[in-house]
Amino acid sequence: MNAQRFFPLAIVLLIALSLANLLFGAVSLSLPEVWQGLFLGSEQHFTVYEYRLPRIFLAMLVGAGLALSGALVQGVIRNPLASPDVLGVSHGAGLAAVFYMTYFSGASTDWLPEVALAGGILAALVLWYLCGVHSSAIKLAITGVALAAFWASCIDFLMLTKPLEINNALLWLTGSLWGRGWPQLQALLPWFVLTPIALGLSKYLNLLDLGDDCATSLGISPQLLRLLSLAIAVALTAACVSICGPIGFLGLVAPHLTRKLVGGRHQALLPATMLTGACLLLAADLAARTLDPPIELPAGILTAIIGAPYFLWLLLRMK
Amino acid sequence: MLISAFKRLSLLVCSALLATSVQAVTVQDSKGPFSLDYEPKRIVVLEFSFADALASVGVVPVGIADDKDKNRVLPAVRDVIGDWQSVGTRSQPSLEVIASLNPDLIIADISRHEAVYDDLQKIAPTLILPSRRETYQDNLKAAAIIGKVVGKDTQMTERLAQHQQFMDAMAAKLPAKASVQFGVARADALFLHTDDSYAGGVIQALGMQTPASDRDDSAYRQTSLEQLLAINPEYIVVGNYVHPSIVDQWQNEPLWSLLQAVSHQRIFQVDPNVWSRCRGVMAAEHMATDLARIFAKS
Repeated sequence: MNAQRFFPLAIVLLIALSLANLLFGAVSLSLPEVWQGLFLGSEQHFTVYEYRLPRIFLAMLVGAGLALSGALVQGVIRNPLASPDVLGVSHGAGLAAVFYMTYFSGASTDWLPEVALAGGILAALVLWYLCGVHSSAIKLAITGVALAAFWASCIDFLMLTKPLEINNALLWLTGSLWGRGWPQLQALLPWFVLTPIALGLSKYLNLLDLGDDCATSLGISPQLLRLLSLAIAVALTAACVSICGPIGFLGLVAPHLTRKLVGGRHQALLPATMLTGACLLLAADLAARTLDPPIELPAGILTAIIGAPYFLWLLLRMK
Repeated sequence: MLISAFKRLSLLVCSALLATSVQAVTVQDSKGPFSLDYEPKRIVVLEFSFADALASVGVVPVGIADDKDKNRVLPAVRDVIGDWQSVGTRSQPSLEVIASLNPDLIIADISRHEAVYDDLQKIAPTLILPSRRETYQDNLKAAAIIGKVVGKDTQMTERLAQHQQFMDAMAAKLPAKASVQFGVARADALFLHTDDSYAGGVIQALGMQTPASDRDDSAYRQTSLEQLLAINPEYIVVGNYVHPSIVDQWQNEPLWSLLQAVSHQRIFQVDPNVWSRCRGVMAAEHMATDLARIFAKS
């Protein structure tokens, strides 16, 4: 499929999925009911306007944000198996969140996003401090993986020593859109001013694909470009994870799938991957709400169910 | 003339205001003062302990977060309530199902539902109280508050007094100061419920005690066989979530026979769902009856 056919198709799919998310759930609504629900005074106002609508926007933003970060990291590290998880950002955010939940169990959950955000950014700073500015992509990836494993083991340690808090922590760590609404959307939206900057980097990211030496001779600074793209990826991932928890595999699968469909040119890849990410998370959340109502599964479980086999398949094919 | 009319009007307004404020109940919940100026008819509860409190004064909720498994609700509570609509899991209840029930009161748990408190408030007035991790005493206080809010203050006071009498009567049948340890066993772990836990509180309310251990920490503690032997309680009460559980496996180990509860055959099985998930006046009475039956046999 080429880019010209991908974009209209993806947009149609996105609209269809949004509509399905408005119509279906534990309680199915008809189209007129959904329309009335948008206005105050309707019986369905809470379900449609306060519950499903913000959740749809949030799923789009988080899906697009995580997918874009994934594409940026894959472009910079030049390894299709890389993802924001490689940088240890989501694990760092997870550690901060679990630490907060265990040791401040009386504290308000209102601060959880801020704590997780700080944890994610701190984890990225530690990685930066360890690798320095002039490190190669492969050193960055390996250090990142090692750090991520370290944060993950700290999370396990906390959960083993304080089993009481396991339930809440595990729920957060699987990633879910449950109970997120307009306030969370408001908190997340400002971070997306970074998207135009990321899209503006597309041309230079293509040059980076030719290798550092070529890129330098073509007039760009690979180090600076790498730093800038990674900083954007880290900020977007940390912001998304702070709201919804680390939604697994999305940052890996979405860019990879998109690269297969539209090719590796970043001008097409970056916006296309955002659409794919948004569609994937919308589909996952729709399934999470409708598979076994009134039980709400965490959307992160659904993305992991799709993502993990895909990752294995990739690994096997790369041999 | 005009002034006196104004005075009369303002008097009227004042008395009208007073009349409504007399009807309104105000209680302190986990988020501060909570007021309700009507008797709620359609109540949704998001933890089992709240369903227990309502059932103990004969109030029937329309929805319960029952993890989509009606058997998790205490049988005695089920008998009072009859049928209800499940609103999903206790950890992530479905807000759209709650909204579709058009409730006029929601009772939520501060530990599980604080993050969606604002959303719940948009659906209906939400009373938020401790449930998960609450102690026996916390639960009695929460029940008294729920009684006030649903307009059954006198009935609840009577019911709590009756509960106290029941527990005292049961305590008389049970050996005073015996050390009883309750734990839930999964396939790979045993969690002891210490004196800070709900079950521990019930055991204390019955005049017995949960054994002290050298480790001070949380209400629910994962324990190995060696640690259990170090505590060495006189009586062990186990709720097995699965069979074979870790306790079943331990029975083949040499250390197991060294436990005094084992050598005196004072190890008993109870329903893990009632003992670990259910809390409330009726649940405590169920536990007390279990213990009385166990001790009558031993």
